[in-house]
Amino acid sequence: MTWSAVAAVVMLFVIAPLVPGIAAKTKARLAGRRGAPVLQLYWDLSRLWRKGAVYSRTTTWVFRVAPVALVATAGAATCLVPLDGARAILSFSGDFVAFAYLLALGRFLLVLAALDTGSSFEGMGASREVTVAAFAEPALFLAFVAVVVASGETSLSGALGAALAGAWPTAAPALAMVAVSLFLVLLAEGSRVPVDDPATHLELTMIHEVMVLDHSGQDLALVLYGSALKLSLFAALLVGVVAPRAALPPLVALPALVAGIVVAAVAIGIVESVTARLRLGRVPQFLTAASALAALGVILLLAGSGT
Amino acid sequence: MTLFFLGVVLLLLGGAAAALLPRRRAADAGFAALAGGGCAAAAAPALWALAGGTVADLRITAAVPGGDWVFGIDPLSAFFLVIVCAVGAASVLYGVPYLATERAHRSVRVAHLLTAIEIAALALVVVARSAMPFLIAWEVMAVLAYFLVVFESERVAVRRAGLIYLIGTHTGTLALIALFAYWGQLAGGLSFAALAAAAPMLPASGALVFTLGLAGFGFKAGLVPLHFWLPGAHGAAPSHVSALMSGVVIKMGIYGLLRLVTLVGPPPVWWGWLVLAVGLASGVLGVLWALAQHDLKRLLAYHSVENIGIILLGLGVGALGARYDAPVVAVLGYAGAALHTLNHALFKSLLFLGAGAVLHATGTREIDRLGGLARRMPFTWTAFLVGSVAIVGLPPLNGFVSEWVVYQALIRSADVSPARAAVFGVAGLALIGALALACFAKVCGAVFLGQPRTSAAEGGREVGYGMLGPMFVLAAACVVIGLVPLVAVAPALRVGALVGGVGTAAVNDGLAAVAPALRRITVLAFALVGSVAGGAWLMRLASRRRTQTSSETWGCGYERPSVRMQYTAASFAAPLLAAYGPSAGVQVTREHGAFHTHPLDLVLDKLVLPLWTRLRNWAISVRPIQQGRLWVYLLYLLGALVALLLYLALQLERVSW
Repeated sequence: MTWSAVAAVVMLFVIAPLVPGIAAKTKARLAGRRGAPVLQLYWDLSRLWRKGAVYSRTTTWVFRVAPVALVATAGAATCLVPLDGARAILSFSGDFVAFAYLLALGRFLLVLAALDTGSSFEGMGASREVTVAAFAEPALFLAFVAVVVASGETSLSGALGAALAGAWPTAAPALAMVAVSLFLVLLAEGSRVPVDDPATHLELTMIHEVMVLDHSGQDLALVLYGSALKLSLFAALLVGVVAPRAALPPLVALPALVAGIVVAAVAIGIVESVTARLRLGRVPQFLTAASALAALGVILLLAGSGT
Repeated sequence: MTLFFLGVVLLLLGGAAAALLPRRRAADAGFAALAGGGCAAAAAPALWALAGGTVADLRITAAVPGGDWVFGIDPLSAFFLVIVCAVGAASVLYGVPYLATERAHRSVRVAHLLTAIEIAALALVVVARSAMPFLIAWEVMAVLAYFLVVFESERVAVRRAGLIYLIGTHTGTLALIALFAYWGQLAGGLSFAALAAAAPMLPASGALVFTLGLAGFGFKAGLVPLHFWLPGAHGAAPSHVSALMSGVVIKMGIYGLLRLVTLVGPPPVWWGWLVLAVGLASGVLGVLWALAQHDLKRLLAYHSVENIGIILLGLGVGALGARYDAPVVAVLGYAGAALHTLNHALFKSLLFLGAGAVLHATGTREIDRLGGLARRMPFTWTAFLVGSVAIVGLPPLNGFVSEWVVYQALIRSADVSPARAAVFGVAGLALIGALALACFAKVCGAVFLGQPRTSAAEGGREVGYGMLGPMFVLAAACVVIGLVPLVAVAPALRVGALVGGVGTAAVNDGLAAVAPALRRITVLAFALVGSVAGGAWLMRLASRRRTQTSSETWGCGYERPSVRMQYTAASFAAPLLAAYGPSAGVQVTREHGAFHTHPLDLVLDKLVLPLWTRLRNWAISVRPIQQGRLWVYLLYLLGALVALLLYLALQLERVSW
């Protein structure tokens, strides 16, 4: 455990609410509006934190634990990603499985919390959430396989490290495919257009938002923060694949990470401005395309390593 | 070995006590104590062997058919013996209160007796070291399971499920008899030692043996497409027997495959790929079928098919690793298979016991007639939630550990040039995991959360400690293996090394490959548990200063929500089934504002039963031959004689030319 790893994790915890803000700002500017301040989510969180909460009489302890678990699992997953480019706080062979399954645990409990309310709207959102996740998971794992094959390392810290930087010049097309696939997964996991629309106002068209309809006050603050953390975590992962920074000193690598995350957030905003949301029935095709891209990347990398 | 047989005798005595003791309470107590003690006694030598000790073989040379009968406990036997004893004991202890209310109209004593003999037979299957006692114990196990499945024999569905089970299991046994007959005749003996010695003589590196083994043991394990008997049988049996069958009996198929590999040596390459492909198919199709079920126990049964698929992924990649001289991949693959077998035994029996508690409390296992049981049965709910998180493979529980080991084997196959396509198994396993998450979100949500959908669910009350106890012990085992994985991974690696045919050096290599990671998984698991618990406590403190209001669930402005408006389990699964269902034969139809999913089994309903009907129709069409009149048979006789003479005449003619 190095100081830079700890500093990087703390930094990601701090800047996480910035990512949805930047995306929203980009979207507004491209539409010719002034838009909400970039720091809007911070104000929202602090306001929600001071508010009281309303609990449905149907709910049980699951409903109260789920927001905490969402933040805790996302936080634990953060500790597995080499944010400073060199080494994560906790790194072991096959830690990418733990990364994905920790986020899955957070999702599982949040889905249970939604079903705990007995609301048909939230049941619908929960059902859509697990459907999207079932299609996104293979793509995410194929992306992990690709970086593992490209680098010859089995931990995230190794796979996103110096070996990956060395693999880029020879395997650029395959790794570019993987990066695109990972970006599509980011859009799905972060509940962004074209999979989900964070700005929609009709419950029937929502996925993630409708699932947390009954959360209020501090619980809602945790849910919003957890989602933002998850989004910036995927952005950090994408930056790790596109720009391995193992060779850089931490004082350069950390600002580079922030810059990369900002670029990813702007990219999300641009995507949201230029594309419409997909019909729900089309989402599986969108994510299957992401899986196919990543699978192609893996095939190219395997073929390359064999010769 | 003496202690083991003492355990078997105790089990049988327990069964006898349940059947013969005159007073009901004495019979129950005697059964529970003796059978439970038998499981403990039989497990003791297994634990000793897993800890590194050696257990002397037992050889019966007296007048027994099929040559000497040999019994022994090596790490592989010991590992499965622990599974048999642990789940067996839980099932026995749970069964006593579970069946207590059935006394009025069914023969509970016989069910207990059969359960005890079943566990003894299971224990003998894994310690048998020659084909004859192995097959006898195997058949006893299979037939007794039939009688346990048809316990509620007044229901037509149960009798049908039992019959299909009997046909399935006997077809499998037939393949095994053929296997041992062919091999034994080559080897000139039926003891496993003699068979192993003859293995190099098997033509085509044992292609026939491996094919017959995969068919015979595959029927028992329930891999796709040989699984068609499984959901019906496991759904129909009493819940503690379902736990035993899903947790242990089908694992005998896995044991058989692993034992076969130890006897013959590394399987051929095509076999490794075949097992990998079958594992992938079982995993994905099993969980899709599970997602479509409306019956809680059938759903759990289909999850057994899914988990057998995960086990086979490990087995297949292990076989490839062994064939391509990658000992670490081989050991990790086989160890992953063994470990997932243990873990699945623990959490699946836990889930079946939980489903039994729900059935006991509400009288229904129709998922869409339940709901809101979390408030009414808080302890059952907690245990069931632990089982659910474990079976989905999420940290910090045991399912994560074994899936992680299988992932390790799959990802390391990328370094083994000819086997590197196996890395795509990673994506398959990820898909299986995500679908399992969807399925258990559906089960937990529809059965335990929300509001009760019927009065039956409304009246559900917590079950007694006699049933909760075994559930909590199993849940605790899931938690311990999840938090401190090294306790289970180290023995599993010994099994993996034995099956992979590599020495103890490879155990140390494998251990060196995973031990640091396992220690970090422990850190991660404790950090996770600590942060969730600490966070929840902090939230409690923080929320004390804020106002908290109780209200109805927010209905987006609608003021009078009713229970019928809750999202049902069928609707919950609908988007996934609409996307993946057609490939698994599940139909989603919408009509008259109603919505249906039809969980057809692709193999049973579309292949086996139509084939069976066609066979029967064909048989009926040839029935007119049998008229039952003497002159017709005389005519047949005459006809056959004439045909024979004509044939001979033609032969003679050809010779004379």
